[in-house]
Amino acid sequence: MNALVIYCHPVEGSFCSAMRDAAIAGLTTAGHSVELIDLALDEFDPVMSESEWDVYVSGSGEIPRGLERYVDLVKKSEIFVFVYPTWWSGLPAQLKGWLDRTMVPGVAFQLNDKNKMRPTLTHVRRVYVLSTFGSPKPYVRFINNNGRRILVRAFRMSGSWRMRTTTLGMHQLDACTNADRVAFLQKIEKVLSRS
Amino acid sequence: MRVLVVSAHPSPQSFGSALTCEVLAALSEGSHEVRHRDLCAEGFNPVVSPFERLNHRAAVDVRLAGSPDLRGHVEDLQWCEAMILVYPTWWSGQPAILKGWFDRILMNGVAWSLPEGASRLQPGLANIRRLIVVTTHGSSKLVNALEGESGKRTAFRSVRLMFHWRTRTSWIAMYKLDRASAADREAFKKRVRRRVRRAVG
Repeated sequence: MNALVIYCHPVEGSFCSAMRDAAIAGLTTAGHSVELIDLALDEFDPVMSESEWDVYVSGSGEIPRGLERYVDLVKKSEIFVFVYPTWWSGLPAQLKGWLDRTMVPGVAFQLNDKNKMRPTLTHVRRVYVLSTFGSPKPYVRFINNNGRRILVRAFRMSGSWRMRTTTLGMHQLDACTNADRVAFLQKIEKVLSRS
Repeated sequence: MRVLVVSAHPSPQSFGSALTCEVLAALSEGSHEVRHRDLCAEGFNPVVSPFERLNHRAAVDVRLAGSPDLRGHVEDLQWCEAMILVYPTWWSGQPAILKGWFDRILMNGVAWSLPEGASRLQPGLANIRRLIVVTTHGSSKLVNALEGESGKRTAFRSVRLMFHWRTRTSWIAMYKLDRASAADREAFKKRVRRRVRRAVG
């Protein structure tokens, strides 16, 4: 299957970049063809401009200029892997903006004649959400893991009911030991090699 | 009351921007000091830079020296007693430009601190006692409930915990905007004006 890794972290060499590499290794072991979107490397601008918003509300289905590559990858990938640090219980702005700008009418959904949303990402079989947290797990549960909610629940509205999701989180990143980190990376690779 | 209004809509002709005007009109009826930040109009950059990430534990001055565009925003944050966020809900959360405003402005030493050995963040914005969110959703309340209302939780739990512990919140939201009539929109504008007036007192 075609797998798409969407990675967002400002610093190369961070723990998130190690998670990205572990994910790619796991997917390759499983025999998938892997494509990577590195939003920081692409210097992706997450802000929807006025002209883009006008196109969005017109519902013409036109793809914003410069995003054709992303849209092609989204349309052909059956496995989505999101790798990002959780900030303010949600997605980093660059990744949130990638959803805002790329998941437009015609790509993620279509409005029918009653102006109701109909999903178009029905080819997506699996979604993996891999993230790091500064806070301990009970705190994250209380605040709610809103990044995961967006990628699992809101995203599911655009997908098929058969879409399966898996979340792996590394909590309390500042306090954990090197062994914890290595164990987490091995877990990522193991879980994704079974995808 | 000192009120900071932060709005995030790309189009000045949109209903979302009309709501910002309603909020500002409601505030002008009382004796409030108001500062307004229109993030899209001022071209705010929401992306955390490698410098900011690598220095996120450094002193505030070091970071502000590296990212001078943030200084005014930090001053606004420490000045206000009430914060009003006006934005369209996209993918059940804040638009990237506003999420990035949280990521970059609510920084260590301003919004929170983590003293050596502590396991919990210490809130740093006890000056803020009111948090008001005015937002629009394209889909219905049911669909948003299924999606988990991420934006509401980010604002009212994650961000609010950095404010005064008795901060009062108001959620002023319109659902089903995709199918709303002109009358529905006018009614919501009136509701925004009335509720904002009441919430800031």
